[in-house]
Amino acid sequence: MIPRPLTDRGERVISIRDIKFTYENGPEALRGVNLDIRSGEYVALVGGNGSGKTTLAKHMNGLLRPSSGSVEVMGKPALDRTVAELSRIVGYAFQNPDHQLFCSTVDDELAFGPRNLKCPPEEVTRRVEFALDIMNLRDVRGEPPLSLSLGERRKVSLGSVIAMDPKVLILDEPTMGLDAVQSRELMATIRKLNDDGHTIILITHEMKLVAEHADRVIMMASGRTMLDADAKGAFTDLAILERCKLVPPPVSKLAHRLVERGVSKDILSPEELVFELMRLRGGP
Amino acid sequence: MQALKLRGVRFVHAGSQARALDGIDLDIAKGEFVTLLGANGSGKSTLCMLANGLVPHAVPGTFEGTAEVFGLDVSKYPVTVLATMVGMVFQEPESQLFCMSVEEEVAFGPENLAVPREEIAERVEWALSLVGMTGLNERSPSTLSGGEKQRVAIAAALSMRPSMLILDEPAYALDPVGRGDLYSMLRGLKDKLGMTVLLAEREAEDAAEFSDRLVLMERGKILRSGPPREVLSDPKMLDKIGLEPTQLGEVASLLEKRLPGKRFSFLSVDEAEVAIVQEVLSGRGGVRG
Amino acid sequence: MAGFIDLYTEGNSFLHRMDPRVKIASVLLLSVLGFLLTRLYSLLLLLGLIFLLLFLARAGLGKTTLALKALLRVMILIVALWPIFDPSGTPVLASLGPVKITEPALWRGVTSAVRVGCLATVWYILMLTTSQRDMVRALVKLGLRFDFGLALSISLRFLPTFGLTIESIKDAQRARGLELDRGGVMRRARNYVAVLVPTIVSALRTAETLSLALQSRAYGARADRTYLHDLSMRRSDAVAIAAVVMILVVPAVMKYLLGYEL
Repeated sequence: MIPRPLTDRGERVISIRDIKFTYENGPEALRGVNLDIRSGEYVALVGGNGSGKTTLAKHMNGLLRPSSGSVEVMGKPALDRTVAELSRIVGYAFQNPDHQLFCSTVDDELAFGPRNLKCPPEEVTRRVEFALDIMNLRDVRGEPPLSLSLGERRKVSLGSVIAMDPKVLILDEPTMGLDAVQSRELMATIRKLNDDGHTIILITHEMKLVAEHADRVIMMASGRTMLDADAKGAFTDLAILERCKLVPPPVSKLAHRLVERGVSKDILSPEELVFELMRLRGGP
Repeated sequence: MQALKLRGVRFVHAGSQARALDGIDLDIAKGEFVTLLGANGSGKSTLCMLANGLVPHAVPGTFEGTAEVFGLDVSKYPVTVLATMVGMVFQEPESQLFCMSVEEEVAFGPENLAVPREEIAERVEWALSLVGMTGLNERSPSTLSGGEKQRVAIAAALSMRPSMLILDEPAYALDPVGRGDLYSMLRGLKDKLGMTVLLAEREAEDAAEFSDRLVLMERGKILRSGPPREVLSDPKMLDKIGLEPTQLGEVASLLEKRLPGKRFSFLSVDEAEVAIVQEVLSGRGGVRG
Repeated sequence: MAGFIDLYTEGNSFLHRMDPRVKIASVLLLSVLGFLLTRLYSLLLLLGLIFLLLFLARAGLGKTTLALKALLRVMILIVALWPIFDPSGTPVLASLGPVKITEPALWRGVTSAVRVGCLATVWYILMLTTSQRDMVRALVKLGLRFDFGLALSISLRFLPTFGLTIESIKDAQRARGLELDRGGVMRRARNYVAVLVPTIVSALRTAETLSLALQSRAYGARADRTYLHDLSMRRSDAVAIAAVVMILVVPAVMKYLLGYEL
C-alpha cells in the first residue's frame, strides 16, 4: 500500500446533502445534515449520547440509508452501492472490538476483510503484513484475538479495518477503556495513518483528544450540526459545548475563567496557558 | 476496627502467571473516601472484589495473606455475609441490572436479606432519593440512559444499608456530562452519609477533588498512598503508573518551574482560578488594558 | 424483536387487575373447554365469549387488529387445507385427482379453525393484559422454584438487549465486507459464524458480570427471602375463578354424565 499523493487532498470523498433519518419506532435522529469530507482531513465528530453522531457516521458507509436527502461517496451516490462495496472505500472500526473479533488467530482476523473483498491470496498476505506492522501486532499474530487484552483487541479490530485499505477511516471511540500509554500509542498510529493520506473521522466525546489531534470539529446535538469549524474555534463558545453536552478540558475551562484577565479563549494545553500567563505577568 | 485491613495480600488469577495483587498492605478507616488509581492490569479491580469476598470465593485463583472487612476474615466468610456490609457497583451499567423495573432492582438486595416488606419499601424510596431517581420506580432498566443506570446500580447497593460502598470505574461507560453528574452525586453522598467509600479509577481528574486519600497502584503493588494534594504534587508519579497527568497538575508544575520559590497545588478549576489570580497575575499589570 | 415476546399493553380493565394466577388458571380451563366442545355452534358461542373478554380488555387496538388479521389468515388456511387431508364423508363437492373435497370435511375444517381461534385468542388476552413480571411472579407463587423464576425473568429482561447486540454485531461485520444475505445455505451458515461467535462471547461476558452482581446483592443469603410486592387474591378474583370453573364444569357434566353432545 502506498501513501496517497498530496495532489489527492482536497477532493470530496463524502458529500452529505440535507439528510434526514428516523429509526423505526424511534425519534428523528438526523434532522437535515449537510457536510463535505475532503481527502486527507482529520475530523472529530463530537456530541453527547443521542446527538446523532453515530447515526451520521453509519450513513457514510451505507449501514444506514437516509429517509430523505443524499449521500455521495467518491462522487457517486451511496445508494447505488451495497455496504460491502462501500467498505472498500469507507472503513468503520466499531466502539466495541468484541463485536468484530471471532477468528482463531490475529492473522485470520486481519485477513477476513480482504478475503470478503475477494482479493487474490498474494494481495491478502500483503495487506495482512501491512496491518500487522502498522498496528504493531507481529508478536501476537498467531494468538486468538479473544484471548488478548483490551488494548490489543482494539488494535486487532482497527487493524482488520485497515487491512481493507479504505480511503476513509471512521473510528468510534477508539481509546475507550485504554490507559494513557495505550491511548497515546493508538493515537500516534492514527496520526501516522492520516499523514499517509487516510481521511480520519474520529467519533469521540473526549475533548482532550479532539484538542490534541483533530484539524476540524463537527459538533452535533439533537440530530443537527451545531458547529463545523477548525479545532481551535471549537472551544471558544462554551454555550455551544454545553448544548452539545460536551465538557471542555480543564485547561480550557480555566482559560475561560481568566478571560477578563486577558487570557485568550482558545487555549487548549497547559503549556499554552502558562505561556500566556507569563506573558500577561509581563516578566522575563 | 478498620473498614478494610489488608496484610501481605497476594492473588493470582487461575490460568494466569502474573500476580494481580503482589503483597498489598492497606488500611482503610471507617468513613474514609479512598480512590485507587491505576492503569489496566494494576490490580485495582481485583482489590475491589477482595473487599466483598468475590475474591477469593467467586473468582478462581490462589489467595495468600490476610484480608479483614470490618473485622471479619474475608477468606472465612461467604460473599452472602460480606455483602451485608459491603455494597458493590461495577463498571458495566447494562449487565449489573437484571430486574424488570427500577423498583425491583433496588428491592432485590433487601429481599434477599429477608428484610420485612414495609422496611424494604422505605429503603427503596430512601435509596432512590439519594441518587436522584425518585419516581422512576416503574421504569424498565433498558429505557434508562447510562448515567441513570449507574445511579440505579448505586441505589441497589445502598438499599442493603452497607457500611462500605465500592465502585469499580463507575463512569467507564458514561459520556463526560454523565461522568460529571455521577461524581457530583458521589460527592453529595459522601457529605450526606459519611460512608466508607472505595473507588477505583483510571483517571485522576475527577476523584482527586474530594477523595480523602489516593492510592496509586501498579502491577499489583501500592506505590503511594496519601492525601490527593500530596500524591499529585509529583506529576511524574501518574506518568510512572501509566496514567494521564491531570491538566491542572501540569499547569501547577509548569508554573512552579517558571516562578521559582512559589508553590502551586490546585485540585479544581475553582482553586486554580483563585491561585492564579492571586499569585500569578495580581500586582503585575495582569488586568487587560 | 422484543415486540413479539412482550405483547403487554397497559390498561385498567378488570382483566388487567385480575390476579395473574387466576388468569393463567382461567386460560388453562378455557383451553380444556375448547377441546371438550365438539359442535360448531358450541365453539362459536365460546369464541363469542372470548371476543367479549377481548373487547372488555380495552387495550392495544392496533396490536390486536394486526394479531386478529394474522389469526384470520391461519383460520382460513385451516379450512382450506382440512378437506385435502380428510376426504371422508358425503356429499363430494369437488374432486381433482386423488383430492376429494367433501361437505362434512369442510365443516370439520371450520370447527377446527374456530377451536384454534378460541385457543389463540384466549392466550393472546393473557399476554395482552399480564406483564412479564406478573407472569413470572404468578408462576413462582404457583410453585415454580424462585431460582427458575429469576432465571426466567432475567432471560426476558435481557432479550431486547441481546437483540440490539446482535444488530450491532451484524453491522460491524457487514462493515468488513461480510454479505449476510447472499449465497446458498452452506455459504450463509458459514457467514453467520462471524455473527454467532461475537454474540456468544458477549453473552458469556454479560453472564459473568451478572453472576458477580447477583452475589454482591446477597442472592441466596437466606431461604426465607421476602418480597416487596406480593400477589394477593381479592374477592373479585375468587368470583372470577368460580365463574370460569362453572363454565367448564357445567358442560363437562352435561357431556360426560348426562350424555349431551356438545
